[in-house]
Amino acid sequence: MKPLSSRCHMKAQWTIPVVCLHSLYIAILVGVTAAVHHIEFRFDELKDLWRGILVSVVSIAVWVTAYILNEIYDNISWIEVASRFLLLVVASILVVAFFSISSSQPLLSQISLRRRESREFRTMSQALGIPDSGVLAESEPISRIDPNEPLDKLLLNKRFRQSFMAFADSCLAGESVHFFDEVYELSKIPEDDCVKRIYMARHIIEKYIVAGAAMEVNISHRSRQEILSTSNLTRPDLFHNALNEIIQLMRTNLARDYWSSMFFLKFQEDSNVRSNEYELEQITGWNFSPRLSSVHGTDDPFHQDHLLKSSGCSNDTTNL
Amino acid sequence: MGLLCSRNRRYNDADAEESAQTAEIERRIELETKAEKHIQKLLLLGAGESGKSTIFKQIKLLFQTGFDEAELKSYLPVIHANVYQTIKLLHDGSKEFAQNDVDSSKYVISNENKEIGEKLSEIGGRLDYPYLTKELAQEIENLWKDPAIQETYARGSELQIPDCTDYFMENLQRLSDTNYVPTKEDVLYARVRTSGVVEIQFSPVGESKKSGEVYRLFDVGGQRNERRKWIHLFEGVSAVIFCAAISEYDQTLFEDENRNRMTETKELFEWILKQPCFEKTSFMLFLNKFDIFEKKILKVPLNVCEWFKDYQPVSTGKQEIEHAYEFVKKKFEESYFQSTAPDRVDRVFKIYRTTALDQKVVKKTFKLVDETLRRRNLFEAGLL
Repeated sequence: MKPLSSRCHMKAQWTIPVVCLHSLYIAILVGVTAAVHHIEFRFDELKDLWRGILVSVVSIAVWVTAYILNEIYDNISWIEVASRFLLLVVASILVVAFFSISSSQPLLSQISLRRRESREFRTMSQALGIPDSGVLAESEPISRIDPNEPLDKLLLNKRFRQSFMAFADSCLAGESVHFFDEVYELSKIPEDDCVKRIYMARHIIEKYIVAGAAMEVNISHRSRQEILSTSNLTRPDLFHNALNEIIQLMRTNLARDYWSSMFFLKFQEDSNVRSNEYELEQITGWNFSPRLSSVHGTDDPFHQDHLLKSSGCSNDTTNL
Repeated sequence: MGLLCSRNRRYNDADAEESAQTAEIERRIELETKAEKHIQKLLLLGAGESGKSTIFKQIKLLFQTGFDEAELKSYLPVIHANVYQTIKLLHDGSKEFAQNDVDSSKYVISNENKEIGEKLSEIGGRLDYPYLTKELAQEIENLWKDPAIQETYARGSELQIPDCTDYFMENLQRLSDTNYVPTKEDVLYARVRTSGVVEIQFSPVGESKKSGEVYRLFDVGGQRNERRKWIHLFEGVSAVIFCAAISEYDQTLFEDENRNRMTETKELFEWILKQPCFEKTSFMLFLNKFDIFEKKILKVPLNVCEWFKDYQPVSTGKQEIEHAYEFVKKKFEESYFQSTAPDRVDRVFKIYRTTALDQKVVKKTFKLVDETLRRRNLFEAGLL
């Protein structure tokens, strides 16, 4: 190969160790990935790793081919020019890509964020594959509920929970019920499944606990600090105090208005006669509850987050 | 020919019927929008625990049907929860002071009350409180009268103790009666953290039935997380009633204990004043909780609060209370004019001294508010 200048051309005894170093790097990556591959990541971290390995392998392959081509045909000048040009372009693109990404955000979080968006999961609990979460199944057993029972027991009934959630959403107080719902989902994860528990706990903290979060709940400073300063996210009683406060809040504040609202009437009707639903439309007009009737913001954070709208609840919100 | 005619007529009949229906619908919509326009929208805003919901309850009592028996009864669990939660806060607080304070001995609960204290603290941490029996009430009373608890209560401003503590602790025997039904006053005192939005419609017609103005009043939660919901209510507001609890100058926020409540109120007030939606909105500032303020001011100097640090007490007793109140009022006035752009200075701004628990005061204040708003409307209509 004809060196462009004697200083910037390495000899074979240097080139081979450099290639070996890169191959070693890839080998280590492959090793690590294989070692963690039994963990069931839900956001395709494993795929990201494999993809990273593929990119590194491809760039090394490009480099090696270019080098070998140069060595073999060192008298054909267009190959020399083309291969050097290719090398330069690949190197510079990689440099630009990596620098621009890592300076704005850590690479890993970027990748996993993009992953998360592309997935069609509607809730975190579905993403984590927690059984019996998400949309109501039609086969859901219909059970009569007794308003004299404590609210936290009633809320364990999924049908009731969704009706209550729709009500709370309609009066802009939905975050409490959503929080209850997700903490309940968390409690369904077996205690030895640390990875899932951490994912779920982190999700809840980011969405409901951190000051200024999208659906921050109304809890005391102490409870918030206790959660944020914990060193063990898998603790089963992590949200215990916060949840207590929220249940008290729902009980003293929302529940009294719920029993006199359209949502409860509809819930009762629903559990009585589920077959002829159209009859219910007639009573949609009246509502004793002092909760919101005229205000419905289109940019309401609780309406866009209200993903679990069950049969006909959305109907109510607009008709009220 | 005749056939054609009759058919035509039939079509016409159907058409006429349809158009009559449409007209009827349109007329109704018009009527409704007219009525809707006639209704004046009032917002109750302010930081947490500033007395918004108490004002709201008063309005219900004054201008609506008030509370029926069922509604009064629905407050029973709330009142009992207030009692259990407060006694737990005080017990745990005294324990904390006894551990960390320099003068720790005075926060140590006496031996005979220790066991009761532990038990009550455990109950207070539960989700379901037991019914308040005579025995439980007696135990709570004993603990409440313990010198250590009283010492802790004196430092209540550090512990997020609700303002209703004194009232409920003095009425424990009545609250624990088997046939107890909360009174109007009990309901007014009961502390509930509001979440979301609540509304009522009312018309402040007194005996004379002359006013005829219809108001729709919105009550909201005041903690930081609740405030992002306010924005949904900001359109078309006739008047904002801003509640500021002037007695809270030495307390910190429920949601952030590193933050003084008065400083937060000031910033919140200024933020609301600067909202573009409120360009023409009247502002009624309620300097609330005057009853607690006048007691506190003689014990805790006003200048413990960063915002009032240039305050100099002048005398004692009643004069001092007035002086301190005037100082606070002046501070709010300054804050108003600083945050009001020159093109908005013609909006109404009034300051009222209130005690939300006092029905007479609220009634009088609301009459004034009503008068001001009506005058304002006439002025806007060009009649004045």
